[in-house]
Amino acid sequence: MQPLLHLENISKRYGSVRVLDGIDITVADNEFLTILGPSGSGKTTILRIIGGFEGIDGGRLMFEGRDLASVPINRRPFNTVFQDYALFHHMNVAENVGYGLKVRGRPRAEIAAKVADVLETVGLGALGARYPAQLSGGQRQRVALARAIICEPRLILLDEPLSALDVELRAQMQRFLKSLQRRLGIAFVFITHDQEEAIALSDRIIVVHRGRIEQEGAPEQLYRRPRTPFIAAFLGENNLIAGTLAGVQGAVCRVETAAGPLHATVDGPAPLPGSAVLVAVRPEHITLAAAAPGALVAEVVEIRFLGANILIELRHPALPDTLIKVRRLADGSTARLSPGQRLTVGWAADDAALLVAKG
Amino acid sequence: MKQKAPLLDTLLGLVAVAGLIALYAPLVAVAALSFFQITRVRGVMGFAPFSLEPYAALIANGEILAALATSLIVAMVASLASLVLALMFAFYFVSARRRFGLMMQMMVFLPFLLPPIITGLSLLIAFREIDFARGLATIIVGHIVFIVPVVYRTVLVRLQLLGGSLTEASLDLGASRVQTLVHVILPQMRPALISGALLAFAISFDETLITLFVAGSETTLPIRLWAMMRVGFVPEINALATLILLVTALITLAIGLLQRGQAERAS
Repeated sequence: MQPLLHLENISKRYGSVRVLDGIDITVADNEFLTILGPSGSGKTTILRIIGGFEGIDGGRLMFEGRDLASVPINRRPFNTVFQDYALFHHMNVAENVGYGLKVRGRPRAEIAAKVADVLETVGLGALGARYPAQLSGGQRQRVALARAIICEPRLILLDEPLSALDVELRAQMQRFLKSLQRRLGIAFVFITHDQEEAIALSDRIIVVHRGRIEQEGAPEQLYRRPRTPFIAAFLGENNLIAGTLAGVQGAVCRVETAAGPLHATVDGPAPLPGSAVLVAVRPEHITLAAAAPGALVAEVVEIRFLGANILIELRHPALPDTLIKVRRLADGSTARLSPGQRLTVGWAADDAALLVAKG
Repeated sequence: MKQKAPLLDTLLGLVAVAGLIALYAPLVAVAALSFFQITRVRGVMGFAPFSLEPYAALIANGEILAALATSLIVAMVASLASLVLALMFAFYFVSARRRFGLMMQMMVFLPFLLPPIITGLSLLIAFREIDFARGLATIIVGHIVFIVPVVYRTVLVRLQLLGGSLTEASLDLGASRVQTLVHVILPQMRPALISGALLAFAISFDETLITLFVAGSETTLPIRLWAMMRVGFVPEINALATLILLVTALITLAIGLLQRGQAERAS
């Protein structure tokens, strides 16, 4: 099936600095796609290229099979929610929201009806006559959204729209955004540097790092099977243990480490046996048992009580530089732990991901 | 906590008051003298009772009224033209490459920083070289050269404050460049445009030195005043000076109120 939008091998430079390099992204209809990356990764540039605010130095931007190169900003069937909202301060809420229809020369009655409708959708029904200066941050956010959806774009671009809101409002707006996207059935391309936000909202996440796509996939897939050390560290917490790939059986890999053989799972093609690899395992996936021979036995270094959870840091004598973090629900058994104690550390092969170590 | 130094505070206060008196006393004197004329009876100075006679004389003086009309026309045309030019320069500055923008900016500012006598003289020479007869048009051109930088400054500050995202938002919503200018940029710049125009009007209305060089048979109010002073002091001069003072003060007040309103809205 043809994607709604296809960024084909896009590259972009600012002077001699290469900000995007071989970016290839497809956006499907009705999809909530998040482009996730740390600041300076190039994610905002990708959004600005789609919106038409920036040109490209290589590659093509295709919309339903049409090249958008010669289509100016105001002719692209996308609308943007800007990070600073960019509301027009001399217009009231209704005028702001109706602006897109007004400049298209739609009749007044139609604009008024649609504005009322859209304001109702975003939950601002009664505030049409207010000015942006009289609104709270969350309300301004909703005005920016209403303004973007009124022209029924095929795609909405959102540039870190929640970053200016406080934590509570953020969570509320996240739920709202998700349900709005479902109701409208429009594709959302959402930019953020917040991995939790990305995981909570997206159908699919594309992680961008240093102008390149690091990995893409469904949130759970990315979380469970990171492919690079960067992803493993950027999305949640991971223990990374270095070793050499010894053998592959199906998807389960055996990795030879200084602490003995460990196992992990790889999705897709495995690296060649003998490659330097990392085993990534989440603190919450590690199980603890009494010390037993033949297993990974480590010594408790520190115990941190975090309320519902407890974080245990262990060290294996053969891995002096690796602190193994284990997160468990705090209960009676964890209460009896004490530093210096030796424990057997283990995990299911399915809960550990195999990464290729970067030379 | 703020340290108190009553003696120093009092001293500073006195200096400030003395400064203000030095600045405003002559102005007050002129205004007062326009209502209370000085009389000399056998060498003894005194004040005549309150009268509006100088004002009546002023109004009856056709030449002065003609000069006032010229001044008003010049100030209006020059400030409107400057507004348009300054806007164009400011748009160029924010969109052009930095190097070209700075070059343009220097060229805009130069006539304002040059001594007016040099600007006036160069204009005079230029008009003569191209055989352009001196008159209303040359006065207006001279004023535009001088006031564009002032308006440019006011307009540019506001334009830079707006930033690019409003323009981008407008284009993103489907507006053309022209629609963006009319519906978004100009309305947002209204306070700056009005105060820029008022400032331009005030400067043009008072401008003397450049006008002296480029005026032909038409004279503006300040030039008329200058000419009157040369032939001898008449009471109308006080009245005229008071009127000019009043107009300028009102414009300044208007600009001040506008800027205060703007600051309140921004906060």
